[in-house]
Amino acid sequence: MQEQAAKMKDMLDPATVDDLELVLSGPESFAPLTESDAGADDEVQKINTCCRACISNCGVIAHVRNGRVIKLEGNPEDRMSKGAMCAKGLAGIQALYHPNRNKYPMQRVGERGENKWKRISWEEAIDIIARKLMETREKYGAETVFCSTGGGGNPEIWSIARFCNIFGTPNWFEPGCAQCYLPRVLATAMMYGGDDSSIADSNALEIYFPEDTEMQSLVLWGTDPSYSCTASGGAAVVDLRAKGVKTVVIDPRLTPDAAKADVWLPVRPGSDVALMLTWIRYILDNRLYDADFVLRWTNLPYLVNTETNMLLRAETSNDPASPDTFMVLDARTGSPRPLPYPWDDNLDPVLDGGCHIDGIEYKTGYRLLKERVEPYTLEKGAELCWLEPDRIEKGIRMFTDNQPGGLALGVATDQTPNSVQAAMAANIIDLLMGNVERPGALMQRFRKSGVFDMPNYPVPIAAGRLPDEQLKKRLGGIEHKGLHIWYAGHATSIFDAVLTGEPYKPRIWIDRSGNKMGAIADSHKVKRVIDELDFIVHMYMYPTSFSAYADILLPTTEWLETDMMVETCNTLCARQAVTHLWETMDETEIWSRLAKRCGELGHEACRLAFDAEYMGKDLPYWESVTELWDHFLSRIDLTWEQLKQNTPYEYMSKDEWKTYYVYQQTDPQTNLPVGFNTPSKKIELYLESMITLGRTGLPFSACELEPATRDYDPLPYFLEPSESPLAGSELVRSFPLVMTNGRVPLYHHTTLRNVPWMRELYPVPELLIHPTDAEKYAVEHGDWVWIESLRGKIRALASLTQGIMPGVVFMERFWNPETLDSKTRGWQEMNVNVLTKADAPFNDVVGTYTLRGILVKVYKADGPPEGIWQKPEDFRVWLPEPADPTKEVRL
Amino acid sequence: MKQSVQNIMVIDLDRCIGCMACQVACKLENEVALGADRIRVLTIGPTGTYPDLQMYFLPVMCQQCEEPPCVAVCPTGASYRRTEAGDIQIDRDICIGCQSCYRACPYALNIFNNELRIMDKCDQCAHLQKIGEKPACVKNCPGRAMFFGDANDPDSDVSRILCETDPAHVHTLPDSGNRPMTRYILRKSDWVEIMPQEVPEPVNRRRQR
Repeated sequence: MQEQAAKMKDMLDPATVDDLELVLSGPESFAPLTESDAGADDEVQKINTCCRACISNCGVIAHVRNGRVIKLEGNPEDRMSKGAMCAKGLAGIQALYHPNRNKYPMQRVGERGENKWKRISWEEAIDIIARKLMETREKYGAETVFCSTGGGGNPEIWSIARFCNIFGTPNWFEPGCAQCYLPRVLATAMMYGGDDSSIADSNALEIYFPEDTEMQSLVLWGTDPSYSCTASGGAAVVDLRAKGVKTVVIDPRLTPDAAKADVWLPVRPGSDVALMLTWIRYILDNRLYDADFVLRWTNLPYLVNTETNMLLRAETSNDPASPDTFMVLDARTGSPRPLPYPWDDNLDPVLDGGCHIDGIEYKTGYRLLKERVEPYTLEKGAELCWLEPDRIEKGIRMFTDNQPGGLALGVATDQTPNSVQAAMAANIIDLLMGNVERPGALMQRFRKSGVFDMPNYPVPIAAGRLPDEQLKKRLGGIEHKGLHIWYAGHATSIFDAVLTGEPYKPRIWIDRSGNKMGAIADSHKVKRVIDELDFIVHMYMYPTSFSAYADILLPTTEWLETDMMVETCNTLCARQAVTHLWETMDETEIWSRLAKRCGELGHEACRLAFDAEYMGKDLPYWESVTELWDHFLSRIDLTWEQLKQNTPYEYMSKDEWKTYYVYQQTDPQTNLPVGFNTPSKKIELYLESMITLGRTGLPFSACELEPATRDYDPLPYFLEPSESPLAGSELVRSFPLVMTNGRVPLYHHTTLRNVPWMRELYPVPELLIHPTDAEKYAVEHGDWVWIESLRGKIRALASLTQGIMPGVVFMERFWNPETLDSKTRGWQEMNVNVLTKADAPFNDVVGTYTLRGILVKVYKADGPPEGIWQKPEDFRVWLPEPADPTKEVRL
Repeated sequence: MKQSVQNIMVIDLDRCIGCMACQVACKLENEVALGADRIRVLTIGPTGTYPDLQMYFLPVMCQQCEEPPCVAVCPTGASYRRTEAGDIQIDRDICIGCQSCYRACPYALNIFNNELRIMDKCDQCAHLQKIGEKPACVKNCPGRAMFFGDANDPDSDVSRILCETDPAHVHTLPDSGNRPMTRYILRKSDWVEIMPQEVPEPVNRRRQR
């Protein structure tokens, strides 16, 4: 007991030893399992569940004996992971039984940031938070409360947005969002209306059936499935390569997928859009595109008014089943003609053309695209992206000569202010080739179970519950209207409002997931924000740097303790709790309890949120998640209990599920093809709806908003990084290297740095640097070095390798749980986000800041940061301390 | 001596993506101590000059040699070949932890178990074989790069894949007369003839050993 106490003291430093005794002995309400509860003695139960060590959902068989998880293995029945697990998932037991789990709700004692705590009950914790929320709402307005979530560690995104909508604040954000995935989701939703091509986000489902795909080539752009989703997408790409599918990898780092590619294009970080525009120009110039598809099924033949940038309509439609009628230039008559949807054989629309009508110049979308990419010759692309022209050409040809194919765009381009344009340009490349909904393409609308209303997480977001006047207060919501697709606020705008009080001062921060000190750009600024706040709550599975600055800590469940519905290809799966430790709680329930207490304290909307009739399809809040999953599963006549017993559950045969050419299906209402899920029902490569979005917020905002300062561009444009290494840059003289970051296969976001099996394999981050740069800056292989940007400096171990682009350095994000109880709080030693840039320029559409493509200098350091652990035996104190399950946590 | 059953590993390096899941699967299955590994994934390369590079990953574990120096030098007979499977095992009851086998192994793949004070190495998950399962690393491999089975059975996975592969693409670790049985398939890169212990460790791990 004393040894355990001492260990806990290291991490949490509770105020007194008396408190500790309480922590470790357990209260009356904490009912331990009796022998009979635990099941037949020593019998091993094998329970099917799903992993959540990252955002994949790989099938797992958990071996449980006497209530304790003793082994994990992959479930061969899983349609995506096929029996494999990655290193992160396999370490699940070490995460579950980590001695430093957050075990009970804790309240700060002493000053904020001292990291001293006392145990409180759940009832007290929820009451304290709810009272603080109500008091702040009363005094300053609900909008001064902001919440954040993120992808790291068993996340559940929509509960937080739902709570915000019901409580009345428009301000929640993620460190990801505009910096991760949203740019691709937005561009694809607007241009196509189906699933995007992200392998790491469990889309691109075509790749999981190598035996029947017609795919001939795969472009992995800024993504490395072998690292980011090893057991699912990573393995699928292995299968494709083995089958002979050609691959092109665009990445400044020689990742495993790059090493195995037919063509590797190491691109300068931040210059991806220039390379994409080069690809597009080459494809147009050489007429490599699918001309028939482009003419009939994209909007490139439609005429655009060059003064307003809007499409020319012959007729607008009031019937949502029918699109507006657009004008094309007919070659036969040489005049503009309306093109009835979907096509008119009597017309011969010109792809590359223009005309004047009433003195106004009109051009086809194709011509505007052609003009846009005009400067991006192979030579220009090579110069901007630090490549050779023939290497670029070889990459393009490897793709265009091997069709059908697909371009999977990863997170890399989401992490620069050119984010949305990258997603648009990548989609244009794939769609020009006709790679949509045909066998072998990544962009598909395979069928779904129908039990989810929201993407990925089923919790209903209740977006309509946020009053319009509150929505209009969303920080960053006017300039960056693309954020409304996820109902999210803009992180930097929220932080700037805290620091300046303009337009109002946010005061309370409730966070779940990960270590926000390691996940948000410019960590020192995050700390300045923290110092300004009245009240901070952190809910997570274990303490992080961020916890140290909180007022209340709430213990959440690990994935092995969580009940969640998951859809994997043509199956539904249960991530089911195979044990439950201490007083941890599923966050989907925490938010419900918080809403309930706010209701009891007089918050009318929170009170009504428990009224089934009032909430309607938004559903009332729940006592347990089981109710919620039962509700959704009833749509296919299943209960949660049945799904748990029968997971994975095939809701539809594979052949029925894998539906190609959805757009060609006949709409029974109109007797015409259903087309794509866009306003024109065509693929919108000229993205007119960007203009509408920027001016009004529609279709994503619940009400019309004031216009952004400038219209969003309907075509992709290249934006050179503001910290540019190119000739003419002042900054490059003192900060000569371009920095990027990315995955290693042992961590997901800020997770697992406290797990011995991961840390012994990757104890501290390496800085990958090319030998020519190392020589220039007097750095040797294995040296500790400083990496410094305009915003701060950190250390890493230099690793000299040919496998990184000269002029570029790469480093994995990191934080050090072992120094959590020191003055650095574990985030100041090796955290890449100390260096990254949270301020303008932002992406116009979604507000992305700069995580990749910042300028740094690198120089030798005297040694490692103080107190960090590097030797395997250092991590021994973090080895699992198995515990018996808790039967029930009472509030 | 020719064994009737000769269980071996065949690893298709074109399918290995260096994810290290085999290392963790092994740790989970066999409770290998921190700082020790029965299997390690080495990175070979990058070789060549930027941007024309080659790199592949090489999982290494006991090579189940036909002429095992570790068996020859073991003073107590703890290292022995199992007749029923043809593999090399260490009998923990009689191993005295003298490390002779570590010194004799040309690849330094026998390791010292600091907790039990005896020698340890890949035993091809003999306990899983007993219940009809494959070794943990093979079973879990995300790239489906690892194969296990009886080299003397023409219908086994290992025989089939070796039969289908051009012999020019089948390699072993350097052989100094010990005749390693593990086979590596590499088609798309050039095989680098190197002893595992000579492959540089990543800079962030090299202080550990």
